[in-house]
Amino acid sequence: MKPAYELSNIKLEQQHKTILNISQLTIASGKCIALLGENGAGKTSLINLLAFTTQTNYGSIHLFGEKIQSKLNKKQRRRIGLVHQQPFLLPGTVADNIELALTLQGVAHSELSDLAQQALKQVNLVELADQPANTLSGGELKRVAIARAIAYQPDILLLDEPFSHLDQRHIQQLEQSISHFAQQTDKTVIFSTHDRLQALALADTTINLVAGKITAAPLLNLYHGKFKHHFFDTGKMEIHVTSELTNAQHLAVDPNQIIVSPQPLKSSMRNSFPGRLSLISEEGHAIRLAIECGERFHVIISPEALASLKLSLGDAVWLSFKSTAVTIF
Amino acid sequence: MSYFVDSLLAAVNLIVSFDADIYRIVLTSVSISISATLCAALLAIPAGVSMALNRFTGKATLQHLLNTLMSMPTVVIGLLLYGLFSRLGPLGHWGLLYTPTAVIIAEAILIFPIMMNLTITAVNSADPRLVPTLISLGARSYSLTLHVIRATRFAILAALVTGFGRAIGEVGAAMMLGGNIQGFTRTMTTAIALETSKGEFELGLALGLLLLIIAFSLNFALSWLNRS
Repeated sequence: MKPAYELSNIKLEQQHKTILNISQLTIASGKCIALLGENGAGKTSLINLLAFTTQTNYGSIHLFGEKIQSKLNKKQRRRIGLVHQQPFLLPGTVADNIELALTLQGVAHSELSDLAQQALKQVNLVELADQPANTLSGGELKRVAIARAIAYQPDILLLDEPFSHLDQRHIQQLEQSISHFAQQTDKTVIFSTHDRLQALALADTTINLVAGKITAAPLLNLYHGKFKHHFFDTGKMEIHVTSELTNAQHLAVDPNQIIVSPQPLKSSMRNSFPGRLSLISEEGHAIRLAIECGERFHVIISPEALASLKLSLGDAVWLSFKSTAVTIF
Repeated sequence: MSYFVDSLLAAVNLIVSFDADIYRIVLTSVSISISATLCAALLAIPAGVSMALNRFTGKATLQHLLNTLMSMPTVVIGLLLYGLFSRLGPLGHWGLLYTPTAVIIAEAILIFPIMMNLTITAVNSADPRLVPTLISLGARSYSLTLHVIRATRFAILAALVTGFGRAIGEVGAAMMLGGNIQGFTRTMTTAIALETSKGEFELGLALGLLLLIIAFSLNFALSWLNRS
C-alpha cells in the first residue's frame, strides 16, 4: 500500500522565519502516528501542511502517491479529516455542523441525517445532536469536531493537540474516539502532542520534531544552546560531544543510556554530573527518574534497578553518560 | 426665531398630513437608493470576500485604491458620469442622462468601495479559524465564499445599511445626473437644495426631517446588527 504522505525538501517560511525544514519524511498509511515536539516546534504547521490548509514555500508533497500541485481536488480533500487544536464550530446545532461537512463533501441530502448520527455514535455523543454548538464543553467540542471530521469517512485523520486543556475524563473519552477510528482498516491517524506518554500510549510510531526539523533523537532530554569545540553549551552546563557539527543548536541525550549512581563512577564516560533526584514515576513497565543537575535530566531505569539503588526523592546522585549517547543537530 | 418655529411646525404639518408631493420625493429617493445599494452589493460583497480570502500581487495597492475611492467627492463621480452620459459623451446614445438609472449608477459607484471595504473588514474580523475550518471540511471557492458570507452576515448587512445611508444622503451626483426632475429624479437631497433656494423653507425642512428619521432608523438598525 502506498504511503499516506511523502514529503521532500519541504521549507515553510513565515515572516522571514523558517517554521519547517524537512528534507525527507514518509508517513505510512494504516498507522497511528504521534507528532511529538515542544511548543513552537512546528507541530501545528506540519499538521496544517498535511491537511493542505497551508501551502509550502518549497518542496513537494505526495498524498497516497499523487503529487499535490497547489490545491486538493474534491476526491483528495475527502481523504483527509482535520481537527484543529481549538476546533471552530459554526453557528447552529451539533448535527448542523456535521451535516455541513457532509454537504461540502458532496454527500446526497437524503443521507445527511443518517451519516451525522453514525458519526456522533462513533464518539458517543448521539444525545447532543440537537444541542447548539456554542453550549458544548471543551471535551464535547473536540469530540464533535472529530465526529465532523470522520463523518465523511476520510482515510486520514489529523488532530492538532487533541488532548490539550482537557481533564482526565475527557482525555479518556477522546482517546477512545481516536482509537475507534484508528482500529478501522487502512485508516491513518496523525496527532500532535508534547506529551511523550500520551504518544507512547496511543501511537504505533512517533515523529520527533525540533525547531521545524524531524529528528530521530529521543526528545526526553532535549536542550538548546550552541556548539563549542567538543562541548555543547546549554547555558547552564557543558556536555561533552563527539560530533563536530559546529552549527548545531539542539542536543538530545538518550534517557536509556544514562547511568545513575550514588557515587561518581570511575569509567571512561566523558559526561558525569552531580545532581538531586526530584521525581520518580512509572513509565509503562519502566521507571522514569528526573534529576536536577543544572538542567533537568530524565533517566529510564528498570524497577529492579530502582530497588537496588534504594533511591528516595531529594537524594544526591551522580549521572554519567558517554558522548555517544548524545545527539546534536 | 418665530420664522424658524413657524417653518418647523409647517414642516411637521406637511409630514403628518401625508403631503403627496413630499412622499413622492421620499419614494423616489428610497427606491433609487435601494436599487443603488443592491447593484453595488451584488458586486461589492463577493469582491470583498474574495479579496479578503485570497493573497495576490497588488492586494495592498488595491486596498489603498479602495481607501482613496471611499473619500472620493460625489461631484467628481457626477462630473465623470456626466461626461460619459451627456449627448456628446461616449455613452450619450444610451440616453441615460437625467434618468433615475444614471443616479442609481452614480450612487452604486459611490458606495461600491465603502461596501467592499466594510465586507473585507467583516471577513478579516471573523474568527480566524472560520476559513481554515471550511477549507478543511471541503469548501471550495464558490461554497467557501457563500459560507463565509453566511457566517459574517450581520457584519455584511451592516455594510449594506451603511451603503444605503450614504446613497440616500448623496446630493452632488444626484443633482448633476438626475437633474432634479419632479416626480422622476427629484430625490430628498436635491429637493431640499432646490426648495430652500426657492424660498420654500418648510418643504425643505419637512424633507430634512424625514431624511433625519431615515438616518436615525438606519443607525438604530446598524447598532442592533452590531449587537447581534
